[in-house]
Order: sequence, then structure tokens, then C-alpha cells
Amino acid sequence: MGRDQWRAALRNPVGAAAAGLLVLLAVLAVVAPILWGDAAEETDPAALSQGSTSEHPLGTDALGRDIMLRVLVATRYSLGLALLATAICVVAGVLLGVLPAVLGRRAGRLVTGTVNLAVAFPGLLLALFFAVIFGVGARGAVLAIGLAGAPSFARLVQTNVAAVSGRDFVAAARLAGVGRFRLVARHLLPNIGEPLVVNATVMAGSALLAFAGLSFLGLGVQPPAYDWGRLLGEGLDRIYINPAAALAPGVAVVVAGLAFTLLGESIAQVVGVRAVRRRRPPVGDQAAAAAAAGSAPETPGDTVLVADDLRVGFPAPRGGWTYPVDGVGLTVRPGETVGIVGESGSGKSLTALAVAQLAPDTADVTAARLEVAGVEPRGRPESEVRELLGTKVAMVFQDPMTSFNPSMRVGTQLAEVTRVHEGQGRRAALARAVDRLRTVRVPAPERRAHQYPHEFSGGMRQRAMVAMGLMSTPELIIADEPTTALDVTVQRQVLRLLKDVQAETGAAVVLISHDIAVVAQLCERVVVMYAGRVVEELPVGQLGAAAHPYTRALLASVPDLATDRERPLATIPGRPPDPADRPEGCAFAPRCAFADDACRVRPGLAAVAPEQRAACWHPRSQPLDLVLDVLSGGRS
Amino acid sequence: MRELSFEGTTVRFGSGRSALTAVDGVDLTVPAGSVVGLVGESGSGKSTLAKAAVGLVPTTSGEIRLDGAPLRTRRDRRRLQLVFQDPHASLDPRMTVGESIAEALRGRRRSARAAEVARLLELVDLDPARARSLPSGLSGGQRQRVALARALAAEPEVVLADEITSALDVSVQGSVLNLVRDLQRRLGLTILFISHNLSVVRYVSDVIAVMYLGRIVEAGPADAVLSSPRHPYTRTLLDAAPAFGVALDDPVPADDPRLDTEAPSPHDPPTGCRFHRRCPIGPLTRPERTICAETDPQPGAPDRPHRSACHFASETLTLEVPAR
Repeated sequence: MGRDQWRAALRNPVGAAAAGLLVLLAVLAVVAPILWGDAAEETDPAALSQGSTSEHPLGTDALGRDIMLRVLVATRYSLGLALLATAICVVAGVLLGVLPAVLGRRAGRLVTGTVNLAVAFPGLLLALFFAVIFGVGARGAVLAIGLAGAPSFARLVQTNVAAVSGRDFVAAARLAGVGRFRLVARHLLPNIGEPLVVNATVMAGSALLAFAGLSFLGLGVQPPAYDWGRLLGEGLDRIYINPAAALAPGVAVVVAGLAFTLLGESIAQVVGVRAVRRRRPPVGDQAAAAAAAGSAPETPGDTVLVADDLRVGFPAPRGGWTYPVDGVGLTVRPGETVGIVGESGSGKSLTALAVAQLAPDTADVTAARLEVAGVEPRGRPESEVRELLGTKVAMVFQDPMTSFNPSMRVGTQLAEVTRVHEGQGRRAALARAVDRLRTVRVPAPERRAHQYPHEFSGGMRQRAMVAMGLMSTPELIIADEPTTALDVTVQRQVLRLLKDVQAETGAAVVLISHDIAVVAQLCERVVVMYAGRVVEELPVGQLGAAAHPYTRALLASVPDLATDRERPLATIPGRPPDPADRPEGCAFAPRCAFADDACRVRPGLAAVAPEQRAACWHPRSQPLDLVLDVLSGGRS
Repeated sequence: MRELSFEGTTVRFGSGRSALTAVDGVDLTVPAGSVVGLVGESGSGKSTLAKAAVGLVPTTSGEIRLDGAPLRTRRDRRRLQLVFQDPHASLDPRMTVGESIAEALRGRRRSARAAEVARLLELVDLDPARARSLPSGLSGGQRQRVALARALAAEPEVVLADEITSALDVSVQGSVLNLVRDLQRRLGLTILFISHNLSVVRYVSDVIAVMYLGRIVEAGPADAVLSSPRHPYTRTLLDAAPAFGVALDDPVPADDPRLDTEAPSPHDPPTGCRFHRRCPIGPLTRPERTICAETDPQPGAPDRPHRSACHFASETLTLEVPAR
């Protein structure tokens, strides 16, 4: 857990209050016995069992001792015992928890089984059992509460250790010859620290309560020593005479217990996923950036998709906004296949999601103009947009396993599309689903329609995904890395399928991929994205004449089956800029061999050849040898 | 550097109906000082083979030898080092780069260690000052370099690289491939280079072995395997590799609609030749070839060209090879 996270945990009002309370309690625990220790022991025969008086605000006990002072002084003992029990619990739990990782397989299983058995045993019963074994008294109670909590803590450690053990870096350390104990100390424990800290904090709170309970029952602290639980027990006998005597220690227990638990919870909240509140960026921010943004080319006539100055922003963790998509212009004509190429973080997928109105809730999507299949989604209620676009835009995702509902038959899921959007009857919809599965060449479609998604192979699932898009007649198919998770032979089949579907239905296809060779196979036009913007767009046939240095570098850096093995591959120095920290001007300039002072101003997309536009102050005009060789040496 | 050899290596997971033979009697030799590229699709068992070599999964039968001596103890296996696919997962996020690398250095003094870490970082083209950074401050390509440096720190006899460029962006992939090739030439490393990408394997390898459903179906010098494959599966892989100027519409033999489009389940591999249901020159297109569905071609493989596991290995030649 980093310093920032601690700070965030304390900044949260609940966390701050809890931490403040704990500091107060700690101070009390240190100073109260020093200041009032003796006074709290002082018996006053003149004031036995008094109610509230000016001298004793909370009254006195049977021996005439001041209850308020006793409650304050008992802080040290109560907290100390609770923390001691927690420490025992954590140490025993961690030891038991990492034991399976250190021992061999068989001994490890034995430990795991024993721990599981102990977890199943009720905690309080375990504590009472230990209390009997260790004898009645503070020592027995500490051991009892500590050991009673150990099994569940051990289980937590085991689960987390098992999760981390499966990670590659642990395997790598093992291969490097790191011993078992060092492995636990250096690699396993530090990486599971967060849940352990949270749980230990919460556990301290419950240990405090358990202790008060045991003392109250007379199984904990024995006289003359006293803690809150004991004071509560004594006070309760006379609750009708002097309610404050019982209430004060009770309140102390509750407040201290709450402080621990709340602190634990607020740490957990910071460590875990925080709910992000939806925010809107300031308007001025957008207007300033819009001035320099790229726009869609003027296209007379028909379009199935027009995006002009599309921007997708997210609230930055440190305040402000970042724009992973920062002024994209994109036009797709009916029946056209357009490929969007870019590396991870270039904003290509987010562009597609924003166009399909599927951007995450926290995102802020703006555009000077956005029209999808003749619909302008902006300014309309979400349900209406879904209704309008539901049948006109089909999405194919990278991992179809996550885009299908695993508990529904594939046929039923396909049928649902037309049942919802077109109000078709169940039987007719199912028949159409089978027909569409046949269209995408799923063998034995009747049988397959009754299967669940997990019974499909990756390639078949991707076909089914395409079939789902074809349940109505889409005007636009957006395929986001549809073949990245597939083997090459299956990739080829899916790409061919997309091509056939496109030819048969006349739908436009937008293919998003990191692999420029894949895009070149399927598409007519390529749009290259870098750092949230379009840097070049050109017809596939002109790839050999790519003008932007980034496009050229991408083309040259990928080996294919004709690459000269004796020459080093072309590389691009540096790394893409972080969206929060993009350089002024051309984002590629820091990695570009041709960059000069002119590149400090952001270049807009400008025509460099017919149908080819590049956002570069120094577009290259020399044909790209490598690609030309490959293009002319190919089979077609 | 030594020679790594697998002899009849078999890895089986589970038992009963859920049993799965991930690696099935693999014979493969990685000669000293050379790079053997192992290609195959997901589920072919190529990663499992590498994990078996370093002892991350137990072998069911067969022997893995280093210069003829079987690897048995953890100490033996440390002479092999594995570089993992995902550099985001293979470095401990809590340890600095220097600490991660130093862990693999043994029996040295603290000062000597720091110097060695710096030398290794320089070897993989990273600034030695990077030793103090955490992995989160590095890009994917830089992390993969650190992972390589850590593997080299253990002074391995053989390096096994398991899909080391698959998780990287294409612009970074090139520099890592250049580094692998450069290191191999400078240090004379023995490398088993595993990838699903034929073009990548071709770029770094001297020998290419093709794996299908747990078995090596073809192995031979890289140029020979790629220019005149002797197993129809290799042919299919070559045809499917996306390349510029290769149109999707160009029919290839594997597009024959009579063939299965799906890979068979490894839980229940087909009888005879494991590839026969997807084979463009097999029984589904040539019904007279019943031998493919009945007789396992694997036993005769050592006598065929490229040790091909195909009854018609010589005939594969007649398939036209595109001029490249």
C-alpha cells in the first residue's frame, strides 16, 4: 500500500474520524494511568456506591472509587489486551497461512485441511474452550481470543498466497533458485499485505469486543485488575441506581471498537475499487482543445458514420481530465471496410466504443458532429439511442466469451436480439438465429443453437458473435480486435467470414487491430492512430507510399515471412506518451527522426496524395522499400 | 553452452475422463549455440514443454537431458532459465529491477552484485540507473529486457523464451527480437524460442519445429521447413499467416469446405493422424487415404524428410509454394 493510498484513506471523512479517535485513545492509554492511576485506586469509604455528584461525575463503585477515572485508566489495559490478542492472531494466522507454501504438497494439504476444520468451528466456542485450557484470567483470555481468530486469518492468508503463488514472478523467482523462506518473505507476503492490514485492523476491533465480553462474563480480567468489560460487569449490577456506571465503559468499548472497524473499512475502500462519481469536465477545457483538432474530410453524399472532433475524456486520478481520444475525425461510407490501426493506448478501441455509444459511464464523450447510421445520438435519451442503434450497429469484440451470457443458450441469446428490437415471436426468432448461424458457417446450426457459449471453441464463438450482429440488418459492423485471441488458421476464417458478410449484406465494416497486416488483408482504407489522434489515413494499396513516419515505422518493424534475417528489424525508440502527459505539438515528435522545431505545433491532417492525408509537417514521399518488395513479391 | 534434448517427453494432466495429454512423446534437440523455434497454435503444448523442462510442471514419462545428462534436481534445472510471456506478471511489483535481477545472482558479495546487475542491464540495452526503478515505471519492452537480464543472471546453459513478444506492442516487439538475436550471437546462447507467430520464429531461429496437439509434426532447418514444408499442417500455418499483398480471397488448400474448421479437443484426440480431419490432402478430400484415420504416422517420422509425421510427407512437396 503506497503512501498516497494511506493518505487517501485518511482524507475520507470516515477514515479521518476513525484515525482521530484512535489517536485520542492511544494518547489516553499512555497518559491516563500516569495521571490518574493512583486516584482511580483510591477508595473513599465516605462515598460508597454513589450516583453522579460534582466530585464524581459518573459516580463511585462499591468501594467508593471514581468510575470516570477508572474508565479512563482502563483504556490502556483494554486496548493493550485487544492488540496483544490481535498480534497473536495475526502471527499465528500468517504462520499457518504460509505453511502450505513452504511445506511440500502433502504436508501443505494437511495444514490446509486442519485450518479449514478450525474455521468451521464457532469462534466464541473456541475462545471459551481455550479459556478453560489456559485458565481463567487475562493471560488465558488473550491466548483464547488470539488463537480463536487465527484460523480465519490463516485461511485469508492461504487464499491470497495461493493467488499470488500462481503469478509468473513467483515462478520466475523459483527458477532463479530463490529458497522457500525467502520466497515467502520477499515475494508472497509483501504482495498480500493490503488485505492483511485491512483485516488485522478490523480484527482488533472485534478482539476488543470479544475481550469485553469475556471480562463481562468473568472469564477475562480478574480483580484487582480491571478493564472496560469488567467495569461494565460491575456497573451492570447497579444499573437502576447509577446507569452511568454501566454506560460509560459500554460507550468506551463501542467507540474503540467502531474506530478500529471503520478505519479498516476505509482502508479497504481505498485499496479496493473506489466508486468513481460521474463528473463533467469544464467547458473551457474542451473549447481550447477543439481549436487544434482534426476534422472529418468533407464528404458529399452518403455516409454511415461521421465523427468530427471526437473526444473521450476520463477524470484523472490527480484531478483534471485526460483524453485518451483527443479529436478524432472519421468517416465511413456505406459498404466500405475501414481499418483502424494503432498500438495499445492509441485510443482506437475507445473510439469505436464511443461511436457505438458504449463508452464507459465515467467517460465524457464529446464531438463537433457525430452521426451513426443516420442517427445523431447526442442529445437523445440513452434508451432511445439504444433502440435506434440496436439494429443498425453490430459490435464484435475481442473476447466473445465475455460478451455472451454464459448461462444462456447461444440460440436464445441470438433470438433475444430480434425479440427485443423487432418484437418477433420466440419460435420465429429462434428459426432466424439458426439461419444466421448457418450463414456464418457454424456446422450443425440446429444443434449448436441449443448449446451454451462454453461449448463453442474460440473461433466458433466469434462466428456466433457475428451471427448475432446479423440478426437484424446492420448498416455498420464494428469489429474490435476480433481475431487477436485466435490462432492464425482461425483468424483467417473469421476475416474471410467478415469479408463475405460485408459483400452479402452491404454493411460497412470498421476493423480495429494492432496488426497492420491483418487490416491490410481485409480493408480498403487504413486509419492510423497514435496517442489519441489520427495521424494518417490512406487506401490499403498505398501503404507502400505511407507518408507519416509513424506509419512507416510500424510497417517496417513487423517481421513477416519475407523479412531479411540478416538485418536488424526497424525499431521505434522511446514509448508512446501517457495521455495525461502528451507533448505539445506532434505527439510522435519525441520518437521521430525527422522532428524539428516545426513539430512543436500540432499538425492537422492534410492531403499528401489523392485520398491520402497525413498529420505531419515533414511527410515522407519516398516509397517504402520493404513494403513495396513485399507487396510486389506476394501471391496476388 | 550445452545441448538440450527432450526424449519421449510426455506431460499428462488430470486423470480419468478429464485426463489431457498436453505433451505426447516429444523428441526434440536444441543443439548447443543454436536457436530452435517452436511454433504451434494455442493448446498445442509448446508452453507446457518449456515448463516441463524447467520443472514447473512434472513430466509423466520421458527424459529431458542437458548434454546427455538427465535433469533431475532443482540445481540441475536452474541451468535452464525460462523467460515468460507477460512481462507485467513476471516481475515482482514490489521489488526494484536491480533486486529482481540480483536475486538470480548467487554467491557474490553485495558490491560485486551491484556491478553485475549494471553489466546485465547494459547487456540488454538498458541504462544501469534503471536498477533502482520499480517495474511499474517501465514500459512493456523495458520490462521484457529486465526479464531477459534476470534469466541471464543465473548464467543458464539454455534459455527458454516462451512467447516473449506476444504481449508487446509491435513497435516494441522488433527491438526485443533484435536483442534476442544480438545476445544469441554475442554470447553464443542456446535458445528454445516458442511462439505462435511463424514470422517471428523465422526471424530468430536456425531450426524450426512445428507442434500440433502435443506432438512435433515437423522439424528441420528454418529455411527448408518454410520453403518446402513436409507436413500439411505447416503448410496450413504458412497459408494463414497474414501478409501484405496476400488477399484473403486467394483460396488455399485448407479452405476446402469438406474439412473441419475447428481444432479437435485435446481431451479426445482423433485416431490415426491427429491432423486428418483438417488435412487438405487427407481422407476428407481423398477418400482412398484411409490410412490417415487408422494409422498413427508418428512412429515412422524419424525416417521421413523433416521428421514429418505425415504418411504422405514426400507428396506435400507437390503443393505449390508461393514465390517470395
